[in-house]
Amino acid sequence: MKKTLNVFQFYKANQAFVYRLIEGLGKAVWMVLETFACIFKLEINCKSTIEQMVEVGWRSTPIVILTSFFTGMVLALQVGNATSNLFNEPVYVGTVTGFSMVIELGPVLTSIVVTGRVGAAITAELGTMKVTEQLDALYTLGTSPVKYLAVSRFLACFFMLPILTVISNIVGIYGGLILSTNTWGLSTYTYLSQSLDFMTVRTFIHGFIKSFFFALIMVIVACYKGFNTENGAEGVGKAVTGSVMTSIVLILVTDYFLTTLLVALRIK
Amino acid sequence: MIRVENIYKSFGEKSILCGVNLEVCSGQTFVIVGSSGVGKSIFLKTIVGLIKPESGIITIDGIDITKCIVSDLRKIQKKVGYVFQESALFDSLNVFENVAFGLRSLTNLSEEEIKNRVTKCLTMVGLKNVEHLKPANLSGGMKKRVAIARTISYKPNYILYDEPTTGLDPIMSDVISDLIISLKKYLNVSSVVVTHDMKSAYKIADRIMMLYEGRIIFSGTPEEVKNTDNEYVRQFVEGSSRGPMQQIDRTFKMG
Repeated sequence: MKKTLNVFQFYKANQAFVYRLIEGLGKAVWMVLETFACIFKLEINCKSTIEQMVEVGWRSTPIVILTSFFTGMVLALQVGNATSNLFNEPVYVGTVTGFSMVIELGPVLTSIVVTGRVGAAITAELGTMKVTEQLDALYTLGTSPVKYLAVSRFLACFFMLPILTVISNIVGIYGGLILSTNTWGLSTYTYLSQSLDFMTVRTFIHGFIKSFFFALIMVIVACYKGFNTENGAEGVGKAVTGSVMTSIVLILVTDYFLTTLLVALRIK
Repeated sequence: MIRVENIYKSFGEKSILCGVNLEVCSGQTFVIVGSSGVGKSIFLKTIVGLIKPESGIITIDGIDITKCIVSDLRKIQKKVGYVFQESALFDSLNVFENVAFGLRSLTNLSEEEIKNRVTKCLTMVGLKNVEHLKPANLSGGMKKRVAIARTISYKPNYILYDEPTTGLDPIMSDVISDLIISLKKYLNVSSVVVTHDMKSAYKIADRIMMLYEGRIIFSGTPEEVKNTDNEYVRQFVEGSSRGPMQQIDRTFKMG
């Protein structure tokens, strides 16, 4: 007898999973709507937002500079190597390094680094507050946990990640410049003119748009996982792992679809 | 008045509350006792709106919190204080900011008035010169007292205590019990206290009720509890492992 798997059979077999998925999506959407409602009503804790901006932006800058600098150098080294093998001289080193940093590596690398540092910290902090009943205490004291905790983190990530991306772009191109002048013997002018000649304002906008989306993904996942942490210290550990993994996967998947969309819209 | 009628709550297949009723009148202290995991804390969280019941009615001063709108809920939050089992003080804030938190969110007091109120509340719970300390630097008893100060700061009509003496030494437990009695006396608050501590329960309660398998199996004054023939209550009060409430499977044999 031929087995047929229709939607209803699938639903029956995975009822608990489907319920959990719908419940999770519902909670996440509700949290995002509440956050936006607070922002539009200007119910923003300025002090907390500035503190979070310092945490997300200023304190992430050293690690972003370090990773971007070496990424730019590696990129210039690989491009120089590859083109030397093909054309007997390093060509397009500045073009490829600059272009790759601005439209792809800058936004993606920065968001992954910041997810590892800030996303994990947000989930750990909110998760610990959840398991120690501090979120319930906020509620009993007439304060929405989303308003008090998520809004400032949301704004901080949304504004700081694009700024960190710009820093990453500049440092990455500078890393490529250092390597190109020392290893491939390119002049600073040649490298920079190669880097900037093919770039337009749209190229920068392309990377900038991506960084806004990645910031949203990171902070929504981090807050959602934190607010829904259960089962004590073990639960906090699992929530942090889940938050970082989910954010990174979603950032990479979104990057593909976003790139396709932006290229189709000629923002490239 | 807090009135709870026919509350049902379950998690998955497990029923926790099966038609629980409660009525707390003005100035009364109601103590709920029962074995661990019987659903006492869930019942308390249901009263304050932290957990939504599947069915039943919970009215606080005539407003049904299971159906009310956000603005009504805010009014109720101001009337009901909750002292958490592990104190639930905000780690990132110092003692002053913790106690002032409810005043800032639930009242329109000026910063000067808030400062005076915080000092007064901390003095009431027997704490001085601790305003600048973070919760991590406080002992268990101090945390409980700060949590009580945070709750009484905005002058609620009702205070719900979730195991206020658990984890404290006998002397500090007695201090907390005395504090609950003095708050009732001076602030005229009605209280619902969840506890395992029968010494504290006898001292503070106007009425004691026992929760077992999701239902209230006994309700009476402390004297009635002491003299009851109810075998469940007797087993709990005497702290005996033998009786109708079996915690472990006695048919288990080694080897």
